[in-house]
Amino acid sequence: MSINAIAKKYSYKTLAERELEDANEEYEHFVPNLSTMSPSLTLPPISQPTEFLRAHTDDSVNPECKIKIAHGTTTLAFRFQGGIVVAVDSRATAGSWVASQTVKKVIEINPMLLGTMAGGAADCQYWETWLGTQCRLHELRNKERISVAAASKILCNLMYEYKGMGLSMGTMVCGCTPKEGPTIYYVDSDGTRLKGDMFSVGSGQTFAYGVMDSNYRWDLTVDEALYLGKRAILAATHRDAYSGGSINLFHVTEKGWVYHGNYDVGPLFWEIKEKEGSFNNVKV
Amino acid sequence: MQAQNTLLNTEYSTDAQTEPIEHRFNPYQDNGGTILGIAGEDFAVLAGDTRQTVGYSIDSRYEPKVHDVGDNLLLSANGFSADGVQLVKVFQNQLKWYHFDNNKEMAVSSAARLIQHMLYRKRMFPYYVATILAGLDEEGKGAIYSFDPVGSYEREQCRAGGAAASLIMPFLDNQVNFKNQMDPESNGTKRRPLKYLSLEEVIQLVRDAFTSATERHIEVGDGLQILIVTKDGVRSEYFPLKKD
Amino acid sequence: MEVVLGIRAKDGVILATSKAFTRGISVLKATDDKTRILNDYNILGFTGEGGDTTQFADYIQANIQLSTMREGTELNSKAIASYVRYELAKSLRTRKPFQVNVMLAGLDKREEPFLSLIDYLGTRVDLPYAAHGYAAFYTMSLLDRHYTPDISVEDGLKLLDMCEKELVKRFPMEFKGLLVKVVDKKGIRVVKGNE
Repeated sequence: MSINAIAKKYSYKTLAERELEDANEEYEHFVPNLSTMSPSLTLPPISQPTEFLRAHTDDSVNPECKIKIAHGTTTLAFRFQGGIVVAVDSRATAGSWVASQTVKKVIEINPMLLGTMAGGAADCQYWETWLGTQCRLHELRNKERISVAAASKILCNLMYEYKGMGLSMGTMVCGCTPKEGPTIYYVDSDGTRLKGDMFSVGSGQTFAYGVMDSNYRWDLTVDEALYLGKRAILAATHRDAYSGGSINLFHVTEKGWVYHGNYDVGPLFWEIKEKEGSFNNVKV
Repeated sequence: MQAQNTLLNTEYSTDAQTEPIEHRFNPYQDNGGTILGIAGEDFAVLAGDTRQTVGYSIDSRYEPKVHDVGDNLLLSANGFSADGVQLVKVFQNQLKWYHFDNNKEMAVSSAARLIQHMLYRKRMFPYYVATILAGLDEEGKGAIYSFDPVGSYEREQCRAGGAAASLIMPFLDNQVNFKNQMDPESNGTKRRPLKYLSLEEVIQLVRDAFTSATERHIEVGDGLQILIVTKDGVRSEYFPLKKD
Repeated sequence: MEVVLGIRAKDGVILATSKAFTRGISVLKATDDKTRILNDYNILGFTGEGGDTTQFADYIQANIQLSTMREGTELNSKAIASYVRYELAKSLRTRKPFQVNVMLAGLDKREEPFLSLIDYLGTRVDLPYAAHGYAAFYTMSLLDRHYTPDISVEDGLKLLDMCEKELVKRFPMEFKGLLVKVVDKKGIRVVKGNE
């Protein structure tokens, strides 16, 4: 028995250590082992699993495909003097069918980190909650909160492991740590990972970029920044049929993220149109 | 010559395999049907029609697909019925193990997360099903969770899934969440305020939804099975639908 | 369409990469750095499939650094070039090859300016000047006309400016300007593009 093992046997276990041990304990009959990087996924019993998945789920390859996976979104996040603003729409579509108008596209990875959701809803939801557990394990192992860079890299490496297997995800990992300050990383299912000040992802990204680029300044106040985020998503819901429903707004600071409400696009549009005198393509 | 050849090559024939073999692996089928879940203040209902079809053929007029899986949870997976049955069975088995491991009932939120993992585990070879889970949350309020085939999920007040989802969902938006309904007094400036529906109102809505869907969708009909979950347990009701 | 351009001068090497990171029809980043510093006198520029590029470059960078730590001596440019080519050739024969094209710029044995072009198939050529992708169509003729083997880094940068002007004028894609790095006796430095 090694000296470490002996020491471990007779030493007191902290609550954190016990939690880590519990997390590592394997329930073979149960869902994935937390300590492994990737849970085991079942593959179809054929030589080209990816071709199979594409034929059955990709509506651009096979419009008659039976399993429709939700696509189409607008999400954005930008850095400014007062932290980060994250804004998203809430529509999920499968072809032209609106599957839901109330999707939560901001995933609260933990009280400090936010992830956004574009692409396959399940891929984002599943892997970003998984990222949350990896971040907690990092805290338990290292007695230190994970950096945004490290968290986003865990997700990016995972995506790269599954590259070419048909996962679809475009996300912004947003957070604030003492050594990094407010930080945004863009991570997608190609395995791309980019640090930046402003990103917009999804079918409505171009419309959101248009509004953001023309009204953005670094020294925006918090209220101005929140309004800009909301306004950019509104512009996208107006021009991109795949985006819509309502807008969810978040503000990230060194104290963690704060939720700034849900705004139904229906009434919000008329309110902003009247206030700004904008959207003159629409008659009252 | 031909006959001789066949005789000679019976076992190791190469000729026998010259016919083209179907290579497309298609393990899916659409068995029609529709399910519907609505949550109330202290109850939840999960309903489904009992018809099972393949294409234009009706294979069964009574094949219930809403299941009381124990722990005051209702589960239904609609679409490809073999996958649906498989999912429910795997869930019931996992629930059993959960009892052995933890010696307590499974909360509806935990059941929902478990179902996400079960569906996502087959991300590359999905279950072809729309899944709805109904139960009561920790506060005793009705809860409906709906899932896409690969496990993305959301808690909602109501959700229709399956063949006639697109017929029923807009009706539910209007009648459960009062979407696009205005307070008549306000002259179209105020929305009609939300309120919890009573169990009687909900059952009437469900019956209306299914009789209407039966009229306009060929894969819906024969019978309506409604399972109701309250703090006192699960109750089942059955109403006939048109048999044509 | 990403731009990677290299010019080997008599006293150093110039490596220029476009600063735009584009996905679909949007420029996601205008300050992207498509290079990795391998050691004091060698840098690697890269283009190709998103995800593959950074994973591959990070992998090469880590292995070069590991080798330096293990052996206690730095690999020279030619050794690095043949190592990078070997990795790409090895990867090509797997189920999921890296789709990455690279350009290695450095001072071989801290003396001799060195420029090597390696594509994802593992084809390596050591050249006085080179470019990846469509940028080559616009710039090679200019370099053929104006390049001399005894060109200085200073004049090389002027030549690079001509190339950039031509690209801005004729290249249909916005590439957000070039990030220009130089390797010479003083080491690696950024001369333009990190404002």
